Amino acid sequence: MQDPGTFGIRRPAPSKALISLVPLIDVMLILLVFFMVTSTYLNLDMIPAVKRADDPLDAAPVTTQDTGAPLLIRIGADGVPTLRGVGMDLPALEAMFRDRLQNTPALRVLVLPSGAADMQALVSVMDAATRAGVTGLRVVRLEVAQ
Amino acid sequence: MRLARPVTRQPPETIVALIDVVFFLLVFFMLIGRMDATAPFDVTPPTTETGADMPSGGITVSVSASGDLAVDGLVVDDAALDQAITARLVTTSDTLVRINAHRDTELRHVLPLVSRIETLGARDVVLVVTPETAPPAR
Repeated sequence: MQDPGTFGIRRPAPSKALISLVPLIDVMLILLVFFMVTSTYLNLDMIPAVKRADDPLDAAPVTTQDTGAPLLIRIGADGVPTLRGVGMDLPALEAMFRDRLQNTPALRVLVLPSGAADMQALVSVMDAATRAGVTGLRVVRLEVAQ
Repeated sequence: MRLARPVTRQPPETIVALIDVVFFLLVFFMLIGRMDATAPFDVTPPTTETGADMPSGGITVSVSASGDLAVDGLVVDDAALDQAITARLVTTSDTLVRINAHRDTELRHVLPLVSRIETLGARDVVLVVTPETAPPAR
């Protein structure tokens, strides 16, 4: 109890401690730098090599449309596609596909690449066929008999 | 008597805007960044104009230009490759297998690999390519 003749100095109440934002900003900056450094910006696409629809059970019903004899495109070791022994560049190959598709819309194309040809050669031929509108394309390879 | 106009004080710069920007950048990089295992060797996929969007997930089999193999970033030999893929296919039969082969890889390394993976039970195998706007120069 304070004496009425005196006065006292009250100690100010300590202010509430604020939650500091600095650690939060530090953590966010570290995370930001981490993701910036570890991110890769490869724009990747894909070409199906084995599709589920290739299974006989899941395959579409056999069409009665005339597909004719399949067109066999060979890819030499140098990566040049050939048709019946005649090499052709990619624009010519695409034009040939378009020409054949006019007569045979359900054209089947078999691609037989040399084992020494590179991936880009095969993908380029598949690309040309797809651009021309070929839907029935298969890649075949020769196996050594056991 | 002349009264001086009080000097207007510039408001203190708020740090909230900085936090917002940093936070948005953080979320951006988290969403955009691919955390896939990268190949332990140089792999430059072939270019194409007609590739489809790459689905996420699955197993990534990388093939170097000289035919070296890696599964999800780890170099393996043929036997280890079969084991790794079989183990994944046992748990999830619908697992997608991505073949990320260098554009200069000879097809004698890639085509038998596709057949092997199919034989192991994979029902979805895709070749990784990278898009381009102009036809590849060959």
